[in-house]
Amino acid sequence: MHRLFFHLILFLNFASLFVQASPSASMVEKAVLLEDKTDEQISLLQSLEPDLELINLLTLWKEGGIFLFETTDHQKIALRLDGAKDADEKQAAFYLNGSFPKDTSGKPLRLLASDLNAAETDSDLRTAMKSILDLAGLSSPDKSARLQAVETLGMEQDPARLPALRSRRQKETDAQILRSISEAIALAELKSSEPETVSNACRTLGDLGSIRSQDVLKAIAKTTGTPARSAQDALRKIEQHLVYVNTWGTLFRGLSLGSVLLVAALGLAVTFGLMGIINMAHGEMIAIGAYTTYVVQCIFGPGLELSPFGFHLSFPSLQATGWFYDSYFLFAIPLSFLTAACAGIALERCVIRFLYRRPLESLLATWGVSLVLQQLFRLTFGANNVQVASPSWLSGHWTLNDVSFGWNRIFVIGFALIIVFCVFQLLSRTPLGLLIRAVMQNRSMAACMGVRTERVNLLTFGLGSGLAGLAGAFLSQIGNVGPSLGQSYIVDAFMTVVVGGVGSLFGTIYSAFGIGMADQSLQQILGNPVLGKILVLAGIILFLQWRPSGLFSTRSRSIDN
Amino acid sequence: MNTKSRTEILAAAALALVLLVFMPALNAWAPENSFFYVSNFTINVWGKYLAYGILAISVDLLWGYTGLLSLGQALFFSLGGYMIGMHLMLMIGKLGQYKSDLPDFLVFLGHWFLPAFWRPFASFAFAALMVFLIPMLLAKVFGYLAFRSRIKGVYFSILTQALTYGASLMFFRNDMLMGGNNGFTDFKFLLGGDVRSAATQRVLYICTGIALLAVYFGCRWLTRTKFGLVQRAIRDSETRVLFSGYSAANYKLFVFVVAAGIAALGGALYVPQVGIINPSEMTPDKSLEAVVWVAVGGRGTLFGPILGAILVNALKSWATQAIPDMWLILLGSLFLVVVLFLPQGIISIPSKVKGLLNRRKKPSDPEGRVLRPNAPLS
Repeated sequence: MHRLFFHLILFLNFASLFVQASPSASMVEKAVLLEDKTDEQISLLQSLEPDLELINLLTLWKEGGIFLFETTDHQKIALRLDGAKDADEKQAAFYLNGSFPKDTSGKPLRLLASDLNAAETDSDLRTAMKSILDLAGLSSPDKSARLQAVETLGMEQDPARLPALRSRRQKETDAQILRSISEAIALAELKSSEPETVSNACRTLGDLGSIRSQDVLKAIAKTTGTPARSAQDALRKIEQHLVYVNTWGTLFRGLSLGSVLLVAALGLAVTFGLMGIINMAHGEMIAIGAYTTYVVQCIFGPGLELSPFGFHLSFPSLQATGWFYDSYFLFAIPLSFLTAACAGIALERCVIRFLYRRPLESLLATWGVSLVLQQLFRLTFGANNVQVASPSWLSGHWTLNDVSFGWNRIFVIGFALIIVFCVFQLLSRTPLGLLIRAVMQNRSMAACMGVRTERVNLLTFGLGSGLAGLAGAFLSQIGNVGPSLGQSYIVDAFMTVVVGGVGSLFGTIYSAFGIGMADQSLQQILGNPVLGKILVLAGIILFLQWRPSGLFSTRSRSIDN
Repeated sequence: MNTKSRTEILAAAALALVLLVFMPALNAWAPENSFFYVSNFTINVWGKYLAYGILAISVDLLWGYTGLLSLGQALFFSLGGYMIGMHLMLMIGKLGQYKSDLPDFLVFLGHWFLPAFWRPFASFAFAALMVFLIPMLLAKVFGYLAFRSRIKGVYFSILTQALTYGASLMFFRNDMLMGGNNGFTDFKFLLGGDVRSAATQRVLYICTGIALLAVYFGCRWLTRTKFGLVQRAIRDSETRVLFSGYSAANYKLFVFVVAAGIAALGGALYVPQVGIINPSEMTPDKSLEAVVWVAVGGRGTLFGPILGAILVNALKSWATQAIPDMWLILLGSLFLVVVLFLPQGIISIPSKVKGLLNRRKKPSDPEGRVLRPNAPLS
């Protein structure tokens, strides 16, 4: 955020050519020109009232972006460079107050960064700068910057920071930051020499359930006296808070894993559950969706060059930025559905329609297809994972009472529910859904009644594959996108459908969330992801002993089903 | 004995003669630069193929004869390999990187003494027993659970796939104390012989060949008994077998356990020849690869899988060298073509060609058909 403001300011400078000099600019310039006299520099900087300009200049200075330039009459001036580089790599020079110097011919001065000496900083100066910046951060208009500043000050545990923090507490309105300020104040008070203050601080930390103060409190708890006792109490409270945070965190992760499974398995619930086709290439349909998202993202961003099998394929670039770039995902969702659906329809036409009566062989044939597709991905997009950047509205997270909820995970949960709802509506409320159900229940009878079963098969398979493509678009937001993306979901997806009961969408929903919750809870309890997964697999095998046809079995009177 | 099975026996005998007698003999005694010389490399590669052949028969016994498509055969295969691998690891002795009695990876993990379950593997006889016991026990437990609840068809495939997947996850872990990611490698001695020497490799090759022959004839006998008949009946209509009063679950369990033992034998012979075993050998993909060999060779026969294993792997050896990028595409397409157009595998090609020729002959000789009933009279 700071950087953004900074660039904005520079941009304005560049456009309007002048800006009113704030006092901090000239003072910083003065400080820069003091060069080696660190003490004077520090006292000068500390005397300043922190404002945005000061923050920007200090940040720039710390990063080595302020240069010393010697004029022809041996006078030193402080400059910064900005703007586009020209052919000689030179950039326009600016005084710190935003106006720009001119060379002898009266043109704006342009300089090469590597020719200049950056204004040096030693460690004392940098420490001083950092504390000024931290304090300045307290009054930053940006919430997350403010929160971060408070947290940094809290970890410093420096009683000298107390006045600044207390005065901020008076002004602050945001509840989360207020909580953080109280925590920081209490942490700083732990260093106090009075046992009474320390005990009170311990109590506050305990009430706040401050997880980050655990180590400090443990150290105090080992001493003797009243503070030790209150520290032990506080630790107990924090422990309880941790259990609470972990429980909710596990629940949330379980829900989100459940939704991932649900999204991945929903397409399979249609192709496998309704049609009885074992599509081992289902995972690759997911990968097709993910790669489509990648291509769309590249088209919105820098463009994409692919050269599979010597053919040269070039995607134009839209050079989108900002919200327009972020909207790429909205285009990627329907496109990934369509691409995967088309791939699925092609697969149905070329391979699967010959194998409706031979399910075991459809398993084998589609495995062959999956091998071919994986290798095609590898040859087209490379063997390594590709980078799919989440749009800004899907990155970041929302923290409530120390439990953090990632936006992308929340989105996946919501998305899973929406898709399930849509698929359910499609199957139960539309004429197509009726036909699909009829054909899946009894193919030959439906054909006798005049249903064009071939076409219904085609559409159903396309629907299932399209759903897999949608899953791919979403999985690209929370995991890696690579040639073997599909392989990592296929076993889980099959398990989900089998446990749920083949042919039952509701069963798939229950089993997806059940498996997701079980997996995450076991991980939390055992502290080991792989062991948890193995236990879940073993649990599923045992579960099928109890209910061989899954949670919700479709009843039938036929002998061989 | 009909002509078809006589041809098969003859072909098997001829192949056995070439592979078991001529090739090792030429490897041992032919001068190195002569045309007939069989290199150590060739012996090693063929030893691998023959071990794969054993695995292929185990897949076929389940899939081709009983209708159970098991994706767990790679698990049993590598379990057998792991058991013999444990013995080989202990035989390295102090020659390892850390000059310790312990296998290198255990030293690396900070172990001071041999874990209890490793100790008996110092004896070859125990390891050899475990090669069969552990996989068959696992097959027995899993099979009992699966068949008791009448899991069949694709569900059985998916469950065995999950079993294999879970097991590979487990073996990837270091605290399983089975070598983790890297598995076992750097073998030195087996029963006093240097595993890397040509002579030992030749003996291993011959052993593999004999084992394959034994498995072939054993399965041939089994599938021709009344048991084999029930087995095929289960494949064709399990419900009818149930209604006839047979306990299909017990039959299937027996075949599953036997097949696990056969696969484990293949794995145990494979590992000393290849010199490495790691968890990537027990992924569901490896099982499916074995299914490809059977499908290509011809399921429901015993000679087909061996042929398929040798041919597909020879193709793999060639393709991964010549066109590495295209190998997976080739394998996938091969599978597709065989499943779609040649469900009985290449072993059915001769009879198909014969059928085609006969069909073409018949219309051209209409009188022959009419005359034939009268032939004895004339």
